[in-house]
Amino acid sequence: MSARFARLARDQNTILAAVIIAGVIVLTISSSGGFLSPISIETFFQFLAIPIVIGLAQMAALAVNQMNLAVGAIGGFAACSAGVLIADFGVPPWLGGLIAILIGLAAGVLNGLIVVLTQINGFIVTLATMTILSGAQYAIVGTRTITSASWPEIAAIGTARPLGIPLIFWIAVGIAILLSVAYRQTLLARNMLASGGNPLAATLSGISNSRSLVTAHGLSGLLCGVAAFLVLASLPGVNKSIGEDWLLSSFAAPIIGGVSLTGGTVAVLGTVLAATIVRLVDSARAQFQLEPSWVNFVIGAVVLGTVALDRVRTRRPATRQRSRRTPPDAPPTAASRAIDPGAPA
Amino acid sequence: MTRGSNRLTSVLSDNRVGLLLLIVVLVVLIGSLKPMFFSPAFVIGPMLTSIAIFTVVGLAQMVVLSVGQMNLAVGGMAAIGAMGSAMVFQAFDVPLIVGIAIGLVFGGAVGALCGVLIAYAGVNSFVVTLAMSFALLGLVPAVYSWVSTGNAITVQTPGLAELGRSKLSDLCIGDTCGPDGIPLILFVAVAAMIVIGLLYSKSRIGREILLTGSNDRAALLSAIPVPRRIITVHTLSGMLAALAGFMLGASTGSFTPGIGQEFMLQSFLGPILGGTLLAGGYVSVIGTFLGITLTVVIRQGLLLFGVGIEGLNILLGTILLIALSADRIRSVAGARSRLRASRQQSPAQPKEEAVVS
Repeated sequence: MSARFARLARDQNTILAAVIIAGVIVLTISSSGGFLSPISIETFFQFLAIPIVIGLAQMAALAVNQMNLAVGAIGGFAACSAGVLIADFGVPPWLGGLIAILIGLAAGVLNGLIVVLTQINGFIVTLATMTILSGAQYAIVGTRTITSASWPEIAAIGTARPLGIPLIFWIAVGIAILLSVAYRQTLLARNMLASGGNPLAATLSGISNSRSLVTAHGLSGLLCGVAAFLVLASLPGVNKSIGEDWLLSSFAAPIIGGVSLTGGTVAVLGTVLAATIVRLVDSARAQFQLEPSWVNFVIGAVVLGTVALDRVRTRRPATRQRSRRTPPDAPPTAASRAIDPGAPA
Repeated sequence: MTRGSNRLTSVLSDNRVGLLLLIVVLVVLIGSLKPMFFSPAFVIGPMLTSIAIFTVVGLAQMVVLSVGQMNLAVGGMAAIGAMGSAMVFQAFDVPLIVGIAIGLVFGGAVGALCGVLIAYAGVNSFVVTLAMSFALLGLVPAVYSWVSTGNAITVQTPGLAELGRSKLSDLCIGDTCGPDGIPLILFVAVAAMIVIGLLYSKSRIGREILLTGSNDRAALLSAIPVPRRIITVHTLSGMLAALAGFMLGASTGSFTPGIGQEFMLQSFLGPILGGTLLAGGYVSVIGTFLGITLTVVIRQGLLLFGVGIEGLNILLGTILLIALSADRIRSVAGARSRLRASRQQSPAQPKEEAVVS
């Protein structure tokens, strides 16, 4: 009994939930109850949906020991492309929404293919695609803002409030549940986790690391596309600044939520909870009327602290051995070369 | 036979020659289509200023790449270094050189913190520097808005405007003046290149850094203090980034939180185009300078042809991808030749227990 309680107390999700409850209590008291008013709750969840989805997009990339710096650029490009197609080319709004999601998927798969074909670090590939896509986003939308009046059907989703909570938040929660089940049950997702945890072992077990990388980047891009769809649904319009500020929150949610940065793990619930904490910090900022940049500083510092502490806490000799390359005299096996042809053999 | 093929490989893998040719061809091409390109005051001068600043940014990334790591916080470190300089100029009215030194200390301290976390906590360099860049992204604007009203600090320190904006033509010895269009700030970059070049080619520390980058295990077994060298490069990177931030502030005359925003892509483009290996162990100072020069020439040329900023971004991203593919081919070729060499020599048994980091 006490052991179970101790494990529960040490569990990251319990800590995150406790932080959320404490934050809500503090905010409620300091706003003398105003924080729990229906309008305030509605706004809170309205602006929580997109951070959850982009946090999950980054988590999908982190699970295979990759990073996706292009989350914001993919999301912004997809949202703007859909906006331009609907407003200027008369594409039906529903089709436009679907196209936004598909553009995200295509961009993600492309990232994955480049990573696999060139064997370059995913971080730097996505840095390049981020630059390209944000340039393309500016090229298609320019300096104008396309208002959501062009797609009333999608905007209706953004204003729907089942049970007093925005529909887009339910969508985000639904996606999180779907992912959570997928990462537990489906072979494809288990393969991705295996590749992320130990590529050599995965190869020896007959798992294609290349397929895992492409799938993970594709999933990450798909979720960015979904985030773009949510942008179309919930924001008053799209312009070139969509996606600019997504990078920090996309990393903050999974890292604070307990996703290992060396790959091989996911924490869907943790990511959702951490995104909620980030949203609470933002609400607190609004309530105490602080500079928006302090929020970035606090979140950045928390991410840095989490990264440093987490590694110290979980460091085990075994993981350090595993991360090392093959010893210099070991005969380079076909498997090890298949994974990292550049490794000094 | 072997010597001949080796020489061929070394010429092929030395892309500095190719870069130089490409730059010359581009300059001639753009210049013949748009004679405006050779205008000293409007094109050449600003272009050389950009080259000077971005070369220092490229060096900041290069020193970290030399141990096979990356610094995603170059922009943030540039911003905090420039902020440090500006704050002491504003608050204490210190001489120019003291302000620069304080800025370098700010950048170096942030870099050292990253280095300590990477070397001793054992966290991946991307993650640490990415998290650091987030923290700086928030901290720098917050401090600016706290110390100054207009979110920018305009510095009037004597010598700063001269350093940042004067050209060689402003310096006269008797009646002979320097050529127009060469900004003084270029010499700051040249000085930085010489210092870094000497560090890598002549000093023990530089050789130790390169050995750490090419094989950290071998470096450790050779009694090289690997963690300390990792901290050294990150500190150096922070100082160079801070210098670049200071140069940008000096060239525009005002220090703002926006300094360093566009540094990250450039910082990778320069070294990678110049032949510095992402995997570590090889650097090229001249190559970094040429790589930066190429991108700045392309940028300036496209601007003259009326291509907007969006076209530039698309192009620069594409260049990075192409350069990276080339880098990959080179490192694979390098690994193959190392493999061949190691098979001939049959190396000694490694001692796993001795590996500490």
